[in-house]
Amino acid sequence: MKIKFHNAVPAALIVAAAWFAATLVRAQQNTAGHASNFSSVEYFDAPHAQQMKSRMSGTEASPQPGGLLAIKQLKLEEFDVEGKLEAVAEAPDCVYDMQNGMANSPGHLKMRTGDGNLRIEGEGFLWRQTNQWLTISNHVQTVIQGALESKTGL
Amino acid sequence: MNKICFIALIALAGAWILRAQTNMAGTNAVSTNAVAEILALVTTNTPPPQPPAPKTNAPTKIDSDTADFDLNGRQAVYRGNVRVDSPQMKLTCAQLTVDLPPAGGRIQHVVAETNVVIDATDEKGETNHVTCDKAVYDYKVQESMTNEPITLTGNPQVVNAQGTNTADVIIWDRATGHGWEKNPHMVSSPNVNIGKTDTNSPAAGTNNPLMPKLF
Repeated sequence: MKIKFHNAVPAALIVAAAWFAATLVRAQQNTAGHASNFSSVEYFDAPHAQQMKSRMSGTEASPQPGGLLAIKQLKLEEFDVEGKLEAVAEAPDCVYDMQNGMANSPGHLKMRTGDGNLRIEGEGFLWRQTNQWLTISNHVQTVIQGALESKTGL
Repeated sequence: MNKICFIALIALAGAWILRAQTNMAGTNAVSTNAVAEILALVTTNTPPPQPPAPKTNAPTKIDSDTADFDLNGRQAVYRGNVRVDSPQMKLTCAQLTVDLPPAGGRIQHVVAETNVVIDATDEKGETNHVTCDKAVYDYKVQESMTNEPITLTGNPQVVNAQGTNTADVIIWDRATGHGWEKNPHMVSSPNVNIGKTDTNSPAAGTNNPLMPKLF
């Protein structure tokens, strides 16, 4: 699936969140046992098959009882077909429930666009993949840099 | 940059609401896409008491206790101590709901609910203080006509240097710049021409066509 941020202005966060979840799925699919300083890369489909589409990295990933996968220092990056960074999501601690398709953490979640013009942070999050629902539990902070009016023709 | 997400649009929605408050009653020939021009129109009788409010690259911040993003239902909800802080205005409410448009689309429905408070400063430094229980923004296109009504209900009140205004419902259409009130029941200001009929046609259902010009 190609994820585009270019013309998805109001939906960028949605896409980022979906990508976030999808990447977590890939993490569990690609991880067999404990992993340290891991990195998982996905590439675009042809004709951009040489271009990195997303990269997930972390300092540690370890399976937990109950089908859980604990990930430390999770960092998810999304790129466009030209290699430009589109979005980044970071969570120091994250647990992915492989059976129920949920990711959560009591810790910090930080998301930003590649150019830094949009930043979203919060403490504690829950992602329910089944119904595509993201909750940020505490201290949600959004910062939008730049002249908003000109972006939407207001 | 065209990658600002819907959160940015939430902030913009807040800004829309704000602008509605600052221009809602009896403003004619209002430019619909420049808040500076709008505010200039509504404050032409008052000398600028303060330096202009900044309108540059200062960021817009949205804080809340929690936030839910329903990707299937395409809706974002900020809950608890919602605060929108931009160079031109500050908005607080208990809940801010945004219906998310398709990719590349335009937000068509935003609701700020419960203890809605908006403080706006125009380019001449004049402040507008607005309170209401609910503020609803809609974007509609019908027969090539664009309407962007912002509807304030629940004891809406607008206070600025020109006076204080309340009504059952206060509506302002961003697209046309027209504003009207339904059943205004309190207006106070030495500068307000109480009873002066607004030159804009009142909306259907408006039960009091007299529109004091507060803005």
